[in-house]
Amino acid sequence: MKTRVVGQSLPRLDAKDKVTGRARYPGDFSMPGMLHAKVVWSERPHAWVRRIDVSKAEVYPGVVRVITYRDVPVNEYGINVMDQPVLVSEGDKVRWVGDRIAVVVAETEQAAKEACRLVQVQYELLPVITDPREAMKSGTPLVHEERTTSNVLHHVKIRKGDVQVGFAQADVVVEGYYVTPHVEHAYLQPEAGLGYIDEQGRIAVVCAAQWPHDDIHQIAHLLNLPEDQVHEIVPAVGGAFGGREDMYIQHLLALCAYVVRRPVRMVFTREESVSRTGKRHPFYLRHRWGATRDGMISAVEIEGISDAGAYASTSVPVLANATSFFAGPYVVPNAKIDGYTVYTNNAVTMAMRGFGATQPPVGHEQQMDKLAKVLGMDPVELRLKNFLDEGAMAVTGNRMPPGVGIKETLRQAALAAGWREQNGHWVKPDLGKPQALHKRRGIGVASAYKNVGYSFGFDDKTTAQVELTLERSGTIARVQVRVGASDVGEGVHTALAQIAAEALEVPLEKVEIAPLDTANVPDAGSSSASRHVYISGNAVLRASQEAKAKLAGILRAKSGESHVEAQHTFRGRSARPTTNYDSETGQCDPHISYGYATQIAMVEVDTETGNVDVLKLWAAHDVGQAVNPTMVEGQIGGGVHMGLGYALMEEFIQEEGLVRTRSFAEYPIPTAVDMPLEIVPIIVEVPDPTGPYGAKGVGEMTTLPTAPALLNAIHDAVGVRSERLPVTAEKVLMEMKRRG
Amino acid sequence: MWRDYLLPGSVEEALDLLSAYDGRARLIAGGTDVVPQLQEGSRQVEALVDVTRIPGLAAIAGGESAISLGAAVTYRQAIHSPVLQANAAVLVEAGRSVGSPQIRNVATLVGNVVNAMPAADAAIALFALGAELEIASPAGRRWVPIETLYIGPGQSRVDPTREMVSCVRFPALGENQGSAFVRLSRRKALALPVLNVAVVVALAGHAFAWGRIAIGPVAPQPFRAHGAEEAMRGMPADADSIRKVVEIAAGEAQPRSSLLRASREYRQQALRVLLHRALEAALVRAQCRTSVEE
Amino acid sequence: MPTLVMTVNGATTQLEVAASDLLADVLRDRLGLTGTKIGCNEGECGACTVLVDDQAVLSCLYPALKAQGQQVETVEGLAANGKLHVLQHAFMEAGAVQCGFCTPGMLMSAKALLDENPQPSEPEIKEAISGNLCRCTGYYQIIRAIRMASEEGTP
Repeated sequence: MKTRVVGQSLPRLDAKDKVTGRARYPGDFSMPGMLHAKVVWSERPHAWVRRIDVSKAEVYPGVVRVITYRDVPVNEYGINVMDQPVLVSEGDKVRWVGDRIAVVVAETEQAAKEACRLVQVQYELLPVITDPREAMKSGTPLVHEERTTSNVLHHVKIRKGDVQVGFAQADVVVEGYYVTPHVEHAYLQPEAGLGYIDEQGRIAVVCAAQWPHDDIHQIAHLLNLPEDQVHEIVPAVGGAFGGREDMYIQHLLALCAYVVRRPVRMVFTREESVSRTGKRHPFYLRHRWGATRDGMISAVEIEGISDAGAYASTSVPVLANATSFFAGPYVVPNAKIDGYTVYTNNAVTMAMRGFGATQPPVGHEQQMDKLAKVLGMDPVELRLKNFLDEGAMAVTGNRMPPGVGIKETLRQAALAAGWREQNGHWVKPDLGKPQALHKRRGIGVASAYKNVGYSFGFDDKTTAQVELTLERSGTIARVQVRVGASDVGEGVHTALAQIAAEALEVPLEKVEIAPLDTANVPDAGSSSASRHVYISGNAVLRASQEAKAKLAGILRAKSGESHVEAQHTFRGRSARPTTNYDSETGQCDPHISYGYATQIAMVEVDTETGNVDVLKLWAAHDVGQAVNPTMVEGQIGGGVHMGLGYALMEEFIQEEGLVRTRSFAEYPIPTAVDMPLEIVPIIVEVPDPTGPYGAKGVGEMTTLPTAPALLNAIHDAVGVRSERLPVTAEKVLMEMKRRG
Repeated sequence: MWRDYLLPGSVEEALDLLSAYDGRARLIAGGTDVVPQLQEGSRQVEALVDVTRIPGLAAIAGGESAISLGAAVTYRQAIHSPVLQANAAVLVEAGRSVGSPQIRNVATLVGNVVNAMPAADAAIALFALGAELEIASPAGRRWVPIETLYIGPGQSRVDPTREMVSCVRFPALGENQGSAFVRLSRRKALALPVLNVAVVVALAGHAFAWGRIAIGPVAPQPFRAHGAEEAMRGMPADADSIRKVVEIAAGEAQPRSSLLRASREYRQQALRVLLHRALEAALVRAQCRTSVEE
Repeated sequence: MPTLVMTVNGATTQLEVAASDLLADVLRDRLGLTGTKIGCNEGECGACTVLVDDQAVLSCLYPALKAQGQQVETVEGLAANGKLHVLQHAFMEAGAVQCGFCTPGMLMSAKALLDENPQPSEPEIKEAISGNLCRCTGYYQIIRAIRMASEEGTP
């Protein structure tokens, strides 16, 4: 389908404000007479709170109020399950160092900080549970004895075919144990915002968020207010990557305004942002795969255990997602797969780019590489033989819907990286000579996929409103789109505006996305699951089409209106209904749509120090239809950045529940000189007919294959793998020495 | 955090201010170490005395025999200095690896020494250069070898509340002398060193006349491998000697495990590699007497 | 309270500041120039980068009084007479802006580079921004933007 605006690399709507410094982020707002708030955090990872004494803090000069659990009308919140206290009560437990004891509100930030130190807490220490594998065992102390008899929060199983038969058919079997760490989102904008009572007496919060309407739902609940008495205003947001899907500051700002009835500002330090907010789930992955001599996978047996941390957050849906992806984008006739998510006193684990789809490729792509080695088959060739295709049966027993571009991503990436296809066989390129004798080059391939939209029967939906302002002649002068989609940096507002402009046949300049105030725009769900272009884009598309139809009616009737409005709620299930896991077999139709990806990495390893330089990285992504190619390439850059950090340098470390990587100095993310010397982005378009103009999603897909491609490249160069990420120079060298 | 911020116009004025505050004021140059430390709260001061406006303190002087750097010389200045590029490659290479451009624009080499961390890159290079520092105090000025300034990690013998380093100097590298600096870190910018090594060698004919080998962090302060340096004297300047020297130096150094940077085992392995590379590079430079290009 | 006199984006500014104020806070809270961002307050991310006497510095670690008599440039000063700086144009065109939080600091580091070295090589561009963290872009479009700006020359 030929499109005018969709498919164009038009500049982002907010780019000018951002390059001039005019864009305002949550920490840039102030109000006259505002107070300042700071949090008193738990100093213990697991303990009964016997007494909270705020008396000294309350009388510190400049302090206006010390807010404790007594001030919270309904002391519970949480995105999936309301299992978290807003502020921990006396007689309850702290379950990790991110639990909050109190909030101090003062005339200055300095006074608030000083007074926080004066809040005294009597703890009765409890054993600290740090390893989910241990926590699963009976007899381990419980994190949530008040709601459960086991630390195992959830278990998912998939039983397809018969793995005994499958392994019997196998000519080769490869095994592996792969461990991924806690990862920090590291968005550049620390949590910040304002809470106040607005002119209509409602609680207003200015802050960053991924699902502002769900925040309102939770805030109204904890303040025991009707939802129309609370609203959230989302200005420019400095990145999220899943880290703002759970509330870390929004509810505290609302609570402060509710209690003190004056504007209150709160800003987290980077240390608070790193040490006291949620992380990506660690996974412990045990794999056993069998394949026949001709390279066909015959059986997989996989166990994955994730660390759910102190509270549930979205650990259950993350596990559900992950378990469906453990075996990778391949046809697997026989599978025995078990996924577990387990409470510990470690950091709460939550959404982070991939939502359970980032860890599985670390397992399945290294398994595929091992199979290729043992079969003497080229890694590209092996994958092409086993890939899912449209109509193929996935490991959950469902048939893959149209738009399966995974083969295309691998073909294009491989050809770009120098592979040659000869008589049905694929031949690896010559990597050239490294410049020094102690260096070795290697090239590694990885493919991955994940869902677009929420899964397993969730009613994923967006409501969008489109309002046209007409010239007297009846042509469209302006378009306003009202949709509660939070642009967290990825450019969703621009993408949705392009879709509206396309549908309404107007230039992009005429389209405006209304500022995000939950009181004024409808619920568009979360900025996550790579879902906005597909779900919100469909809502905007249909609302635009309805507005256009209404306009046509008005023009025919010559009735002279100057405004046309239309609203549409798009539900994912109207395109593709999804179902939840069968409790015994795990068979279901889990996901609405999918994105597919292959990345190939070329590295140079210093065999004397273990240092890994990434020379070149090819990233091929099937997005269905690129709404804005430059923005898709931007997602590729960011995804590769996060994946490279994941593979080589990032690890959030806790010891006995205490944080050791407190801040940016201790948690390195890649700088400009750590990135691949060259990144080659490749956009592949295999449309999903149910997506707007065929578009699917891309935000998370760009980070899924990066780490395994790098790991496979390192193995290609020097023949070693490390069981645990990150694969630092130390791990490479020590593995090489161990191997001899 | 501090109540007064002062910009004296001379070393004497700076010292007078320190005396007036009687231990409650502290010197600051670039501030990239001092400001975070004060923010973190582990140190408290009443006043900061900023030395970067003192005329002449940012001068790099010298040539044939000795090179001197004023206390306000920044990393950026050092890296771009033709004098240093020609005659002290090790210091230029060390400077390039520190922090980031923004940090190098304001941070000073002398500040790095006074901060007294065991792997401070400029300090490691200055150890290898056999540097001396001029300390200015109410009692007058005196030159002291850099090694004598270290009491322990983060603890300098220079008391920045009472006295100041005004200048650092070291012999310029002459004919048949070469230097090199190598470093390992967790990422390529904004990273503290896992290990750093600075080497200066001097040749007499086809043999090593002498050498200085400085290593960090393998001890509470920047470490000179004196045993290896002794052994080096008179050894033929070849690969075999380098291998022997590396073994001795690696044996003297005692790296420790740090959770966030590297384990002892890795440091022991990697140290040999770095020593080797630094000695080889310094030897080649001594033989060719090439300067470091920008 | 001591008086700080400095030039900010070409205009002489005189303010009474507390001795312990940092330049970033003075720019943001006293002068309303919130374009300069605070990402970490520890000198580890570069979001607070401004130019002082033509050099890129971390304003979150720069005592305000250190800027006495100096020329400070922030992102708000890049556009002149309503015309965007060539770097700003290039960032917009090359897709170098996503969440935009690192953008002001990146622009200032890039300006410092191009003012001193109008035809930088790719490694020189990467080094110039090596102290500016970005979590959204992977840097390559930022690098492309700076190269584009250098090819276009000064406006």
